[in-house]
Amino acid sequence: MPELMDKAVFREALENAIKGKSANQAPFSIAWASGRLSRAHLARWAENHYHYVGPFADYLGYLYARTPHHYTEAKDFLLANMYEEEIGGDRHTDLLIRFAEACGTTRQRVVDPDNMSPTTRGLQSWCYSVAMREDPIVAVAALVVGLESQVPSIYRRQAPTLRDVYKFTDEEVEFFDLHIVSDEIHGERGYQIVLEHADTPELQQRCLKICEIGAQMRLLYTTALYWDYVAKDIPLSEIDAGERKVA
Amino acid sequence: MPVVVIHREGQTHQGEVKDNSNLVVMAGIRQFPHPHLRYGCGMGKCCRCASRVLKGAEHLPEPNWKEKKQLGPRLDEGYRLICQLWITHDLELEQDKTPLTPAAAAGA
Repeated sequence: MPELMDKAVFREALENAIKGKSANQAPFSIAWASGRLSRAHLARWAENHYHYVGPFADYLGYLYARTPHHYTEAKDFLLANMYEEEIGGDRHTDLLIRFAEACGTTRQRVVDPDNMSPTTRGLQSWCYSVAMREDPIVAVAALVVGLESQVPSIYRRQAPTLRDVYKFTDEEVEFFDLHIVSDEIHGERGYQIVLEHADTPELQQRCLKICEIGAQMRLLYTTALYWDYVAKDIPLSEIDAGERKVA
Repeated sequence: MPVVVIHREGQTHQGEVKDNSNLVVMAGIRQFPHPHLRYGCGMGKCCRCASRVLKGAEHLPEPNWKEKKQLGPRLDEGYRLICQLWITHDLELEQDKTPLTPAAAAGA
């Protein structure tokens, strides 16, 4: 039976659970970062991404309702996270749709669930399932630490490329800029909640496992985007080993 | 590590932050300058974090498009949107008692 880890050791274990499964390694992410995707590819990404991140406040809403009253700070964090996603400034999904429209697709296509891939539907379903069924602290580990905390590192790589290589305007790519700030806050506060409240060896192990699964799910989703929309245009062999190493 | 000084409502608060820190992120994760820095959306829209830079402005990057849009002529008075800045040098700021109204919302 594993022993209870102190917070520093547990945090390192959480980071390691995500590391190696990072979505930065997916061919779609590598092709994006190296400027090889077309606007049509990016439009398909936006049409899928909407159905993964669009319901994020819904996932957190289910989780909020199931989180015991005495986890006051954790509940407040979930509520603030929901507020910031939806009405703290511009609605985040509206900014995603703005980017999608700049890629040549339409709001109507983006919000239509028939335009997401089966893998995206799987990721969305997993998020709902975790929010509705897992221990609340394990669910925070999954959704916030395992998924949301990855976003700043991904978008920090992607945002400059969208401006410099793909030639989008600042306003068109605002969705990516805002997540570098907001998800950095959300990810770190998610870590703080998990470190504070996963206070048994069993709970710590469950958090580690679900972080690993969350990172796998996002990698699966991102990998499927390549196979579903890009592979016919850019063979995997063209995404060379050098690029894979730096991703 | 950069030293940050914040003047707000007659009080002065000072602390160190890691190099290349965003002060709104730091406040958001409950580290200095929490709870002394007022902030809101974190996306350069609400202007609640807007502050006048008293010292260290020369080390900051040029204002980005959001700062130009939301601060307008206030930029010339030394105001910056703190959520849009990553700090690499010492910085001294003052936050007004009342948050600025975004220039875009005010039709400026």
